[in-house]
Amino acid sequence: MLRSLKGFVFHPLKLDHGYALHTAAKDCLSSVLSQDVQIPAERPRAVFYTNETDPANHTEHHEGRHYSIPLEEVKAVFPHGLPYRFQQQVKTFNEACLMVRKPALELLTYLKNSNFAHPAVRYVIYGQRGTGKTMTLCHVVHYCARQGWLVLHIPDAHLWVKNCKELMQSSYKKERLDQPLQASSWLKNFKTSNEHFLKEIKTQQKYVWGKRESTEQGRPLGEVVEQGLARVRSASDAVGVVLKEIKQQCHLGSFRVLVAVDGVNALWGRTTLKKEDKSPVSPEELTLVYNLRKMMMNNWNGGAIVTTLSQTGSLFKPSSAYLPHELLGKEGFDALDPFVPVLVPNYSQREFESCYHYYLHRKWLQHEQARTEAGKEELRFLSGSNPQQLERLAGPL
Amino acid sequence: MAAQRAGAAAALPANRRHRGLPRAVPRRAEPSRAEPGAAVMAAAIRRLLRAGGRRGAALVAAAGGPGSQTLRLIYTTTAAWKKNVAASGPEKYTEAFIKKQIEEFNLGKRHLANMMGEDPETFTQEDIDRAIAYLFPSGLFDKRARPMMKHPTEIFPEQRKIQWGEDGRPFHFLFYTGKQSYYSLMHDTYEKLLNVQKHQDQLAAQDLPPQKEKKNLVGSRWLTKTELEEMLLEKLSDDDYSRFIQLLQKLVMMPCGNIEENYIKKFSREISAQLQKVVIEPLKYDEQGVAFSTGEGARKTSRATVTVYDNGTGKITVNGIDVLHYFPVLQDREQLLFPFQFLDRVGKHDMVCTVSGGGRSSQAGAIRLASAKALRSFVTEKEVESMRQAGLLTVDPRVKERKKPGQEGARRKFTWKKR
Repeated sequence: MLRSLKGFVFHPLKLDHGYALHTAAKDCLSSVLSQDVQIPAERPRAVFYTNETDPANHTEHHEGRHYSIPLEEVKAVFPHGLPYRFQQQVKTFNEACLMVRKPALELLTYLKNSNFAHPAVRYVIYGQRGTGKTMTLCHVVHYCARQGWLVLHIPDAHLWVKNCKELMQSSYKKERLDQPLQASSWLKNFKTSNEHFLKEIKTQQKYVWGKRESTEQGRPLGEVVEQGLARVRSASDAVGVVLKEIKQQCHLGSFRVLVAVDGVNALWGRTTLKKEDKSPVSPEELTLVYNLRKMMMNNWNGGAIVTTLSQTGSLFKPSSAYLPHELLGKEGFDALDPFVPVLVPNYSQREFESCYHYYLHRKWLQHEQARTEAGKEELRFLSGSNPQQLERLAGPL
Repeated sequence: MAAQRAGAAAALPANRRHRGLPRAVPRRAEPSRAEPGAAVMAAAIRRLLRAGGRRGAALVAAAGGPGSQTLRLIYTTTAAWKKNVAASGPEKYTEAFIKKQIEEFNLGKRHLANMMGEDPETFTQEDIDRAIAYLFPSGLFDKRARPMMKHPTEIFPEQRKIQWGEDGRPFHFLFYTGKQSYYSLMHDTYEKLLNVQKHQDQLAAQDLPPQKEKKNLVGSRWLTKTELEEMLLEKLSDDDYSRFIQLLQKLVMMPCGNIEENYIKKFSREISAQLQKVVIEPLKYDEQGVAFSTGEGARKTSRATVTVYDNGTGKITVNGIDVLHYFPVLQDREQLLFPFQFLDRVGKHDMVCTVSGGGRSSQAGAIRLASAKALRSFVTEKEVESMRQAGLLTVDPRVKERKKPGQEGARRKFTWKKR
């Protein structure tokens, strides 16, 4: 076990230090990131951490362990992707620790071994409520960001089909409807996450936005995004243009594209929006949804499509539905077929222990009985090993 | 019809069971010789009186000389001729009345048997009770308030006969003590006591050892004061009762008290086993060799059956659905956790439950009771006792209270308005 060296003061909240595995003293000393100094910690705590911050190197060896993402990286990679409660936890703990789980590892192996000459493979992450589908997606997104892919991350497709304050008729196509607010917020987050790509990718045709605005051919994509942000009326069309350009150019091989959509069942469900004559809007009448659906088709290569099904934000779906054919419906299933389904289960014994010890180490569980074995069993029983339930239970403790 | 107001109890039959002095029978003249006109007039005036106010005059046919009938006016109040219910004491039943009731009861019994399609000859009291419960179903909680059909001797309390004869002389020699049955009983018991002592002395004289067999008093109790009063048909005081019981005890304590066993048996009752030993079923084993046990539970209107398997991981399935989906509320899951946590067996058992009826909270309570009952088979006697003391094995008797008329709910009254 490493002891603290004289002259080094370990500050547990500084994030460029990782947590060391108690066995690999040599690795720690030779690690590129930093000198790892460890407070004299008990053995069990150290087991549930790993200092491997690059998802590319995560293997089954790391299964069940937490790895931390530096906060700057979090801001850059996940401007809008993380679940709300996890964001609150990041703020409280001042670190973003993600658990490495089997479904994510599976997806990472698939991505590593995928042949980018073939059409893009679609992966659908599904599971019961609160089992960690969105977190798995975020893990994959982090990996791809580290690998230098272009990440098109739509945090929740359900937000595009409900609670829209402004619906405008599209200027491009008469029968479609625009959603300026959602489009502009997405564009803003897209800009933060993929800064350098926006300079590299060039438009391949001219786009006319209005009477006096147009984007010439060969201009960087950043300009389209700026246009969308400046002129909110044309934001939805800007989004469409961005998606089209990316789709056209990714097969060239200069960059890889990851399309990460959370709540993909929203694209083929129903909306709660109504037109002015009170008739219901179907999803394909929305520009954003229409363009995204085109992206979801597997007629392009040079990337991957990773999606998540979500019942929580879905409309008109019973709460017990979690399987793909239940949530996607016939239309969605046919559109996404063939896809690779990835089931995310509740915590296994080991994963539960890991999460429990993480909370214990971060002093989140304050109750004295929570520290006992009996308390752990109680937590396991009451949460049913469901990650969301455990998180909610641990909150008041 | 005229003037026979107070003469209701005309002639008391000699064998009527009646307590106390016979009522004075005011003699009235036979109005048979009254003129029809006077009778009609008297009747008319009585009708006026009943319709009119409290005070009034009454025309009474007075006894005059033979052949003459004078109408006299007397002034009374309703209080005088109104029947004083409180002073007349408990209701007295004539023997004829009781006999008539018995006949009616038997007839009714045969009719009832006919109605139910059973043989009238072999129709017992249990059959009657069942038939009445079927024909007149009642949801009243108090069993005594429900409709019942029993033999008149059970319904009408026994009453004492007249204690004296035609000449007014009482039959019993202790009549003038006031508590004749009680003193005669004490007398008899003391006689038995003396008998036993004499027997003891005889045995001692013959140098035989006194009999040591003692009557076991453990499973029996003496008559209560109420039961003794019912037996003697007269009121006792606490002091009297305790003196009698002390005498009985003394009789029993004596070495040769077994001689008078028959006499003592009349005053003791068996106590049925109060603690019903609850049988805990042994564990059963299914095909894989896994031990399991079942339990049933109920709470309010929910009924649950539960099978608890050994060597488990704490997985619970309710009606085929996972417990997290069936009970999304934490409170219900805590209820399910309680029996396991109490026995420190939280992750060790699997459970498969079926539950129906009631709401979410009562279903959770029913499953909790059922699982506690099932866990008894896995656990030692002491732990079962501690579970019982914790209240895990007790059926919760709380049910929804009935709404009463005149109120909005069970307890809530209507809004009180001053005007």
